[in-house]
Amino acid sequence: MSTQDTTVRTRDTSGGTLLNHWQRGVPVYREPVVTPTLLFFLALAAIGFALALARLCSPLGPFGGMNDVYAWGIWKTFNVLTLTALGSGPLAVGMAAWVFNRQKLHVVMRTALVSGFLFYSTGLVALGFDVGRPWNFWNVILPWRWNSGSAMLEVSVCMPLYCCVFLFFENLPLILERFYYTGSDATRKALHRMAPFLRRIYPFMITGAYVLPLMHQSSLGGLMLLGGEKVYPLWQTPLLPFLYLLAAGLCGLGFVTFLLLMSALRYSRPLDLGVLGELGNLLSLMCFVFLAVQFGDLVWRGEIRTAFALDKMSLMFLFETALLLIPAVALRSRTMRETPRSLLNLATLACLGGLLYRFIPTTIAFAPAPNAIYFPNVPELLMTIGYIALGIAAFGLAVKYFAILPGEIQDWHHMFRLVRQRRAAARPEGETSWPASLSTP
Amino acid sequence: MSSVFSRRQALLGIVGLGGAVTAAPLASVAAEEHPAHPVAPPDAVSMLYDNTICTGCKACVVACSEANGLPPDTSRSGGLWQMPEDLNSKTKNIIKLCEEPNGKDFAFVKRQCMHCLDPACVTGCPFGALKKNEWGAVTWESSLCIGCRYCEVACPFDVPKFQWDKWNPKIVKCEFCFDQRLKENQQPACTGVCPTGAVIFGKRVDLLAKAKARIAASPGKYFENRVYGEHEAGGTQVLYLSKVSFQDIGLPKLGSASLGHYATMVTSVIYKWLSAPILAAGILGSVIKRNWNRHEAERPEREKQSGLPDQL
Repeated sequence: MSTQDTTVRTRDTSGGTLLNHWQRGVPVYREPVVTPTLLFFLALAAIGFALALARLCSPLGPFGGMNDVYAWGIWKTFNVLTLTALGSGPLAVGMAAWVFNRQKLHVVMRTALVSGFLFYSTGLVALGFDVGRPWNFWNVILPWRWNSGSAMLEVSVCMPLYCCVFLFFENLPLILERFYYTGSDATRKALHRMAPFLRRIYPFMITGAYVLPLMHQSSLGGLMLLGGEKVYPLWQTPLLPFLYLLAAGLCGLGFVTFLLLMSALRYSRPLDLGVLGELGNLLSLMCFVFLAVQFGDLVWRGEIRTAFALDKMSLMFLFETALLLIPAVALRSRTMRETPRSLLNLATLACLGGLLYRFIPTTIAFAPAPNAIYFPNVPELLMTIGYIALGIAAFGLAVKYFAILPGEIQDWHHMFRLVRQRRAAARPEGETSWPASLSTP
Repeated sequence: MSSVFSRRQALLGIVGLGGAVTAAPLASVAAEEHPAHPVAPPDAVSMLYDNTICTGCKACVVACSEANGLPPDTSRSGGLWQMPEDLNSKTKNIIKLCEEPNGKDFAFVKRQCMHCLDPACVTGCPFGALKKNEWGAVTWESSLCIGCRYCEVACPFDVPKFQWDKWNPKIVKCEFCFDQRLKENQQPACTGVCPTGAVIFGKRVDLLAKAKARIAASPGKYFENRVYGEHEAGGTQVLYLSKVSFQDIGLPKLGSASLGHYATMVTSVIYKWLSAPILAAGILGSVIKRNWNRHEAERPEREKQSGLPDQL
């Protein structure tokens, strides 16, 4: 029944009213919380964390395929350098909404914020188990010990600070909102008192939340500058930091689009093609900017022939470029970006292209010694999969307990799923009984 | 009027915020810190290795292990004697035999830290565990190292090694015998023990002059009639003379600019006094504040329309 509703609403039979379908974040009520899928991802996460705990009592050697030539394995190159690009949704969508005033996008901010927080926090956890001497990390609080010219320092200061302070603050309203609707009168009163303060500092905090990732997302690219001639010339450029930042922007937009479409499919939500079309439009622009900068740089450095040499590296480069060029061109068409299926496919391509760009310079194009090889071993892979599975499971849980995924106002019932069933949720004033459709939480 | 005030407010708030969180030290980066072609200070110590003199006796390898208290790497000799394959977490110094593929000619090479004038490892090390110490020796301080292994990624000579098999892993690299011998006014163990004078110790200026004198005395004897390390990666404090190509003995072909210069030429400008982040915060902050005020002004209407509190 709900599926039928969806199709009717999505078609907007009312004759093109300007009303958005997505008006506010609405929790997912109708689905059970514990599903086989959730258990599957939790099991993967548990395996990863069991290994991570074992790693605490063991040298790094047995837990990774890394060696002195390839000193960085996939925990750094994939979980941190690559996946935080997907976690840049809060930066990309947030700047579009708050700086470039794309009002439509406010409604999808929460999806971006929660996914971004999960990517960053799992990446930082991965980093915590990757470093060999984590007990010395406390030096980060002593600024006079900072080696100011190091991109690694910038990353190690900026990323935890962003994730734990600014990104966390941005996620705070949706957590407090839940307490507001499920808590006691005293809680509600306290939150009422707190709200004006949060709103007063909000614009300053989100400014910090955009400046910091602009810094560390570019510094992640800056890391490979010191790799010098070990990195293949197609990727080694003084513009690496800028290109990493642009890739983060396009991955952020692409992944939020992807995630919205996938969650709408999964939870039978209506789609708002106005909002999704806007995301597709911005994604296409970001892809074009990225490609223009990348090719301009290749021409300027005189490496453009290397790109078309059709050897292994050049083919890799052209593949990566194609992954970005196809969505860039196709999403210029309004029909393409407002057709859910094509938008999903093209956003996926753009994400893959951006991810590949962020992954290649540290791994495939990184050739320190001719005969050395690196391939992640089993515990290393299981830990990487565990961190990602944890993020997926957490997102699946979060959308059910918090108002994250965008929906319609008519679906909002002041109804937050409770952790324990015996306490009643707050009942909105003036409403005497729960709507029948929600009698089973 | 009010819009001017809010913009100023935003700017001040952000300046305070950005400044507090990233603090002053980031600002002290200056382009002068990493010139493209650094000049060695007059007291910079150096070693000169000449593979036309080396007999491959490996006395320096043993002396190094002894001076640094390193266990012998016996993995290739069935546990019988010290026989490292390359620099590794048990070996800070090694003599390698490099043969031509047809076996006609061969040459020895001594590998250890090059003690660059502007080391990439020191530029990258986040908390300064690796630092350019007195006399230019590149040393490692265990209490500042977080084990990120960026030095291994950055070093163009693949020198720093990580103890993958230790719970409390250290970065192992030649430190010019800084603590053990340099401070005691002694030369490093390897140069001290060399019976033929293939590797000698001295001030960099003196050894560079000596190397050039050797080239001038017998032109054509040495590859390209030049000293490896004079300009490589901005110059190193270990200098090489070789009868065969430097690449054939495993020394990488590098440009003459320091990697630290390449990596920081942009960031040292935009992070100087945190100018770019503060500027960005000011511009973004003022625009955001304006859009925020507009968004807040429309809030009562949105709430009336939906009948629900506004969401952030």
